[in-house]
Amino acid sequence: MKEFMMIFVGADYADLGLSPEELQNRMGKWFAWGNKMEEAGILRGGNALNPQIRRIVGKNRTVTDLSSAEVKEIIGGYYTVVAEDFDAVQEIAQDFPDYDLGGTVEIREVTVFEDH
Amino acid sequence: MESKLIDHLFRYHSGKMVSVLTRIFGLSHLEIIEDAVQDTFIKASISWRHQQPENPEAWLTKAAKNRVLDIFRKLKAEKNLLPNLQQSRDFIAVNELFLDTEIEDAQLRMIFTACHPNLDPRDRISFALKTVSGFSIKEISSALLTKEETVKKRLSRARKTIKESSISFHIPQGKALPERLESVMEVLYLIFNEGFHSNSKENLIRKELCGEAMRLCKMLLKNEHTRISAAYALFALMCFHSARLEAKINSANEILDLKHQDRNLWHSPLIQLGNTMMTKAVIDTEYSCYHYEAAIAAEHLRASHFDETDWAKILYWYECLYVIQPIPIHVLTMAVVCLQNLDFAKAKTYLDQVEATDLAQRSYLYYGTLSDYYFAIKNIEKAITHLDLALATVTNSLEKEYLEKKRAVLIQKKE
Repeated sequence: MKEFMMIFVGADYADLGLSPEELQNRMGKWFAWGNKMEEAGILRGGNALNPQIRRIVGKNRTVTDLSSAEVKEIIGGYYTVVAEDFDAVQEIAQDFPDYDLGGTVEIREVTVFEDH
Repeated sequence: MESKLIDHLFRYHSGKMVSVLTRIFGLSHLEIIEDAVQDTFIKASISWRHQQPENPEAWLTKAAKNRVLDIFRKLKAEKNLLPNLQQSRDFIAVNELFLDTEIEDAQLRMIFTACHPNLDPRDRISFALKTVSGFSIKEISSALLTKEETVKKRLSRARKTIKESSISFHIPQGKALPERLESVMEVLYLIFNEGFHSNSKENLIRKELCGEAMRLCKMLLKNEHTRISAAYALFALMCFHSARLEAKINSANEILDLKHQDRNLWHSPLIQLGNTMMTKAVIDTEYSCYHYEAAIAAEHLRASHFDETDWAKILYWYECLYVIQPIPIHVLTMAVVCLQNLDFAKAKTYLDQVEATDLAQRSYLYYGTLSDYYFAIKNIEKAITHLDLALATVTNSLEKEYLEKKRAVLIQKKE
């Protein structure tokens, strides 16, 4: 078994004008998805990220503060799961609730540094 | 772990919090308040993804209260906009405003604000749905089949009017109350009708609009000053109509008229509730248009089969209704009733009193009824011509399908 990270990229909820009703429905879907992974015993961790960004770039260490409205897409959160391979994670990612909002799931394998 | 959330919790809570915060800060800060409340829900929707609080409602209320403090700071920083607020309302008082009875009071104030006669009638519905009912612009636009841009314009125009005519956030009293209540009931009636006669193919939207109108009407009935007989009659009317909502659309998503509805699908608890409300509505002997409309709806529900409908009685109620509300659509409906009662000559006298233009965008109803009349007197040729006119003016796709089916039947008869 390997560890994978599912990274969620898309618009910030606050910038989409979602109604309270939609927010509640969406939350229900996230909740159900999390439960499903937990019950399957594959969930290792995860977090949601606040939309404020401080970016430090280049050798001058230039600092910019950005809000979600200033960037097209933002990383909204991630989950780490254990799975056989990419195909298995792709299957898990079917339940990601925000595809209809133009959201993206990026699957990456966590590198394991072995002791030699 | 199961989700503990009750249906529509966020939506209902949104209206509650916006109203309470408006009571604290005043209508002039409505936009800030709405944004703040929206933030609370976004926050909740993210932090509750993994674990929901034991008492979600208390969590939301607490979050909204905390937003009060944020708004305090924000406003103070912006322009020192908070004269005397801290002296006049200490935090104990603010806490009391979050009690259930006070929340209901605040919501009622918001309803009266949304339905204020100074607001353009078209703006009232959008504003009420946004502020009292927690609908998003997108939801309002799909519920009312209006462009999002138009809804936005209506909302900002409503806010502007409220500011400019300095409408106060209260429940009107004394002489002002009856007129203001009238306006509130009219808006609730329109919201309900938008749902009940919705052009939307989506059944969910219909039900939600009808449900919202009923929820708001119930608020009127909870308060001793707004609990007038017309409001009971309006609620009864909504119950009677809602009882038929499920039966109105078949599994193929087609509209069914009263004749073809499966009467077993009519929801009897709602009919009973409507009857109870009607008993309360008629204690006072002055009847409103809602009384008569409810009486008509009840008369339809009383017939266990379409053929057993008491058309004479229905016509009588329409005559009464027309006396206090002389509008062309009622005349047209009386013609329809006469056709059902096989009194074609009388139907014609009603039809002669109406013109298509009287009904504006609903002129297809006029042509449709004329078509029915000609069919009844066996003039198939003219029946078809008028059905074509109806088809040329109808915009609602469900109604259009219904008319097209009718036309196919006529063509068959002709051949």
